[in-house]
Amino acid sequence: MSITSERVDVKHKPKLGGGGPGKIPYRRGYGGGGDDGDHGRPEDFFSSGQRLRRGRIGIAAGIVCVTALFIGLTVVYVARLGTPHWDEALHREVYGWKPLALPYGLLWVNSTLLVLSSVALELARRSMLEKSEFATMGIRPPRLKLDPPWLAITVVLGFGFLAGQLWVWNGFRSQGLFLRGNPSSSLFYLITGLHAAHLAGGLIVLLYTACGSWLRMRFESQRIAVEITSWYWHFVGVLWFGIFALLHFAKG
Amino acid sequence: MQRSLISAHAATPSILRRYVFTTDHKVIGVQYFFLSLAAVLVGSFLSLLMRIQLVWPKVRIPFRGELKPEDYLALLTMHGTLMVFFVLSTVPQNGFGSYFLPLQLGASETSFPRLNMAGFWITLVSFFVLISAFFVPGGASLAGWTQYAPLSALAAAGPGQGMGTDLWLVSIGLFCLGSVMSAVNFIATTLRKRAPGMRLMRMPLTCWAWFVTAILILLAFSLLFVAAVMLLGDRHAGTSFFIPGGLIVSGRPVDHSGGSPLLWQHLFWFFGHPEVYIAVLPAMGVTSHLLSVFARKPVFGYRAMVGASIAIGALGFMVWGHHMFVSGMNPAAGFAFSTLTTAIAVPSAVKTFNWLGTIYGGRIRFATPMLFSAGFVSLFITGGLTGPLLAQPALDAYVHDTYFVVAHFHLIMAMAGLFAVFAATYFWFPKMFGRMMNERLGALHFWITLLGAYATFMPMHLLGLAGHPRRYSALTGVQYVAAMAPLQKFITVAAIITISGQIVFLVNLFWSLRKGPAADANPWHCTTLEWTLPSPTPAAGFGGREPVVTGSAYEYGDHGAVEDFVMQDAAPKTGASAL
Repeated sequence: MSITSERVDVKHKPKLGGGGPGKIPYRRGYGGGGDDGDHGRPEDFFSSGQRLRRGRIGIAAGIVCVTALFIGLTVVYVARLGTPHWDEALHREVYGWKPLALPYGLLWVNSTLLVLSSVALELARRSMLEKSEFATMGIRPPRLKLDPPWLAITVVLGFGFLAGQLWVWNGFRSQGLFLRGNPSSSLFYLITGLHAAHLAGGLIVLLYTACGSWLRMRFESQRIAVEITSWYWHFVGVLWFGIFALLHFAKG
Repeated sequence: MQRSLISAHAATPSILRRYVFTTDHKVIGVQYFFLSLAAVLVGSFLSLLMRIQLVWPKVRIPFRGELKPEDYLALLTMHGTLMVFFVLSTVPQNGFGSYFLPLQLGASETSFPRLNMAGFWITLVSFFVLISAFFVPGGASLAGWTQYAPLSALAAAGPGQGMGTDLWLVSIGLFCLGSVMSAVNFIATTLRKRAPGMRLMRMPLTCWAWFVTAILILLAFSLLFVAAVMLLGDRHAGTSFFIPGGLIVSGRPVDHSGGSPLLWQHLFWFFGHPEVYIAVLPAMGVTSHLLSVFARKPVFGYRAMVGASIAIGALGFMVWGHHMFVSGMNPAAGFAFSTLTTAIAVPSAVKTFNWLGTIYGGRIRFATPMLFSAGFVSLFITGGLTGPLLAQPALDAYVHDTYFVVAHFHLIMAMAGLFAVFAATYFWFPKMFGRMMNERLGALHFWITLLGAYATFMPMHLLGLAGHPRRYSALTGVQYVAAMAPLQKFITVAAIITISGQIVFLVNLFWSLRKGPAADANPWHCTTLEWTLPSPTPAAGFGGREPVVTGSAYEYGDHGAVEDFVMQDAAPKTGASAL
């Protein structure tokens, strides 16, 4: 028995799909590993259930990692808030922390956008789950009467949150509160900035998935991407409320 | 029909796709191996330069001339960073782990092949970013592998503190990303890709070690990443997280105030201490595995070994403060850190006891991997015994900034870790490259390295107890240090001999790669699944066949059969004869 890498030849590749979900286009991938059947690679022996479960474990591990990061930042914030530092000029310990006046109205609008985006993503997930049965049979799912593009709505709301955060930072800038300066504003920018960066990561994946049909992504892959990213997205939302609570209750 | 069509036209990907830009975990493992080999060669060379500068400061280095005192600090920083990150956290975990974790679990692929590949390439970029610091104006960073603020936070503080330190921080930030990607892949692979019957408590101890280490990486590297971002903020964005007020550098007051240098130390060591276990846990796993294989006995106390690995990992996050006893600390906190640190001796002692229990009464085969594993146990005990000493704040205050600490961590982390890497290399070489390494050269390499390691690092204990400070290239006007010059010379000579001895290893490695005798599928008579495959491992791994695991990973000894071991996927005994 010879063990060779099983790979479908380009010329003998059966022509599959005709656009839309379930299409299997061909694209040269990278040698060696599995590619889940995207980009015209053979699907190995992964079922979508297996892919979903391993993806969930992967994203859970990622969430643990990001949680550790923000717990670290929270500890830094609280420690910095509570410790005086030695002032060489005054020759005594001083508390240099200047409390920030948070723009609550704007922050609540942002929070609402984030909650709505989580709801929209959950609806997108459910609608894709319903359609996935058709897709696995290779049928284009029937267009339901009321089928809003929930994924696109999630992405728009996500960008809305980011824009709102930019607005918040801009407001602080106009008040003369910059990254340099008081530790309260340094830490504010650091924590909200890192949160926005993590949210942007999820947003890129959602955007990519939302454009999946044009990017020759299989419907099943799209659905799994949404399932997995939804965990991350809800986590980033909860994280935001944790940060909001920290900024509110530990103002100094 | 479809199947024959596929195999008849099995397209071979180009060489670039097979060996360079590949998602194949085996090739990635080999890539990590050679990356670390490059890093260890550079790192050893830097340590040689340091040792030479210490005893012969006037020697002219080719292309470089006489080494200046600040060059010593740059060498020290780069030696530490290369060895800790790119050797000890890379090859035992990502090198051998990428290659053998899936195979030992009975999988032909990791859970996230592309994440695995991304992890390697980011690590490689990170390596080049770090090395490039030697070639920028000012040279490499001077702040040590720990990058203590405020020295690391102020570009004006020294020649390497500008661009060199920025490159260090960027490199380590990238390294964090790459390691975390790889760790996510390891966790998902361990939890989801096990072959049928491979219950968690049937996994080889190597897999347990890689799994626990992956969790440590997730939690530790995220903190280092934050710390690196904050330090970059201090350096370029005007924040003052780590820079206290009232500093004057080169006669000019520093425009920062209110930061805490201690905060950096807390963040760094919260990463830094788990990092020690990130380096040594996979080494422990390999040692447990190999001692069992070469003593032809099951691992003594398998469950205790698993528990000890987890306990070491968990305790590792509670002891970072013992690196900061001399930084100023509340005595109550010092007491807590001291007690918890001493507590790590318990699971460590469990491990050591079980290693001795494993080889006790075994039919030991003294092949090269066994020699190096025994060497690991020896060095682990020698280096480990000074751990509880250093965990006492009162003692630590005396020896902390001396060679005593250098001796401690080089023996337990660097040398023990390296011995496990050598053991793993000699052990898995046949599976990775299909050829055997030379046993005679292997034994020679072992004895040179063992004696060399002890000759280099044992005298450092004496230097430390006599009060010789570390981190200085030369001490002028200090009388008592002059008396220790002969010992320093001895250490340098021992280091030169030990590092030159590694040429034996390199010759053996590269000679065996091309000319070594062909290895059969299971040259060491092991039970684990990777040895059911031909050597070298075929590209397809198990090739669609899924092994079914029926027994534990350590079925060695007399089973009434012809062979003294039972493969993990052996068909179970039928009938009542087993009773």
